[in-house]
Amino acid sequence: MSLLTNVMEHSLDEGYAEAAARRGASGPSRLPRALSSKLGLAAGLVLAAVVVTLGAAQTQVSAPAEARERQKLIDRIQDETRGADALQKDVDSLRDTVDAEQQAALKSRGDGDRLVELLAAATPVHGPGVELVVDDAEEASSGDTGGPRESTGFSDTGRVRDRDMQRVVNGLWASGAEAITVNGQRLTALSAIRAAGDAILVDNRPLAPPYTVLAIGDGKRLGTAFQNSVDGQYLRMLQHDYGIRADLSVRDDLRLAAAPSLILRYATPDPAAPGTPGGRSAHPQGAGSAGRAGHGASGNTSGNKKGEK
Amino acid sequence: MIAVLGLVVGVVVGLVVRPVVPSGVEPYLPIAVVAALDAVFGGLRAMLDGIFDDKVFVVSFLSNVVVAALIVFLGDKLGVGAQLSTGVVVVLGIRIFSNAAAIRRHVFRA
Repeated sequence: MSLLTNVMEHSLDEGYAEAAARRGASGPSRLPRALSSKLGLAAGLVLAAVVVTLGAAQTQVSAPAEARERQKLIDRIQDETRGADALQKDVDSLRDTVDAEQQAALKSRGDGDRLVELLAAATPVHGPGVELVVDDAEEASSGDTGGPRESTGFSDTGRVRDRDMQRVVNGLWASGAEAITVNGQRLTALSAIRAAGDAILVDNRPLAPPYTVLAIGDGKRLGTAFQNSVDGQYLRMLQHDYGIRADLSVRDDLRLAAAPSLILRYATPDPAAPGTPGGRSAHPQGAGSAGRAGHGASGNTSGNKKGEK
Repeated sequence: MIAVLGLVVGVVVGLVVRPVVPSGVEPYLPIAVVAALDAVFGGLRAMLDGIFDDKVFVVSFLSNVVVAALIVFLGDKLGVGAQLSTGVVVVLGIRIFSNAAAIRRHVFRA
């Protein structure tokens, strides 16, 4: 504080006081009398004025330049954003085209392939089933500190994690579900449930709790089978130990949207394998078993989805 | 009279000639501006106090500008340039404020 006090108290240069003391008895001379000292004062003032003016001018000059640069950057960002939007629109329309083509191609293959379409989640479906709502524990904090465990993210044990969702979905498949959506995202043979940072992703789309899992199947039986399965017990354990909320209810008619689009780039039918050449119209097995096989393969959400059945 | 003339000439020269500030000196210009303002306010107050001295004014102005620039230059070399220029601005700002207050007391007697 003494430094600040010093600055406050000695705001006037002490040289003035000393000079006044030197002049002493000759009386306070307010302004210089001699021409040379007058000129000196004027020179000092000129210098001071030049410096201040220069500072102001410099700011005036550089400010518009900075603003121009900023505006240029903003323009570029907006241009690129517009471009990205246009491209996204292209992608969307192309995706729609692909979807339509796919639907048409699938339809043109005849009635038997309706099943392929259904199992590939390429078409909206409806039917009886169960609705399972999973949510974080009440006290689970999402972002703010001061929670019971003083931590955020997945380290908070009251939060539903991607593994939990995987087990839940897996258990539903195992219990006989035929089509599943998670928060409206239809699960396909290519769906993955994973975590990124703080969020659970299904098909690379982040979900926000509560997580609503809709599964089509034989409502009551699906429900009880799930409850009795290992994964159902796991969910109950989560409920009991960590306060994660889960609510299973049987529904008469659920409507599940189609998956956005299914594109295979590398996988092609193997002509050597029996039954595959000549397209899928040559389904060797009956409808039911083909369905099972189809879902058994649909497994990157889990390994043992249908295998145990 | 000659003082006011000096000020006006300075402003005009600064505006018209617009000397190019070397880029090496440019970072110290704001500090120099604050130091110059401090010297001008100090001189004004001394004048009102009746103890003005032209030599003190010119020398204190020049040394203030140079010392402030030197401090910031040293800070730049030591990696604390921003902090030191803040310090210079704070000290000179406080001086400007209290000098302005003293001038106000002289002018308005309040």
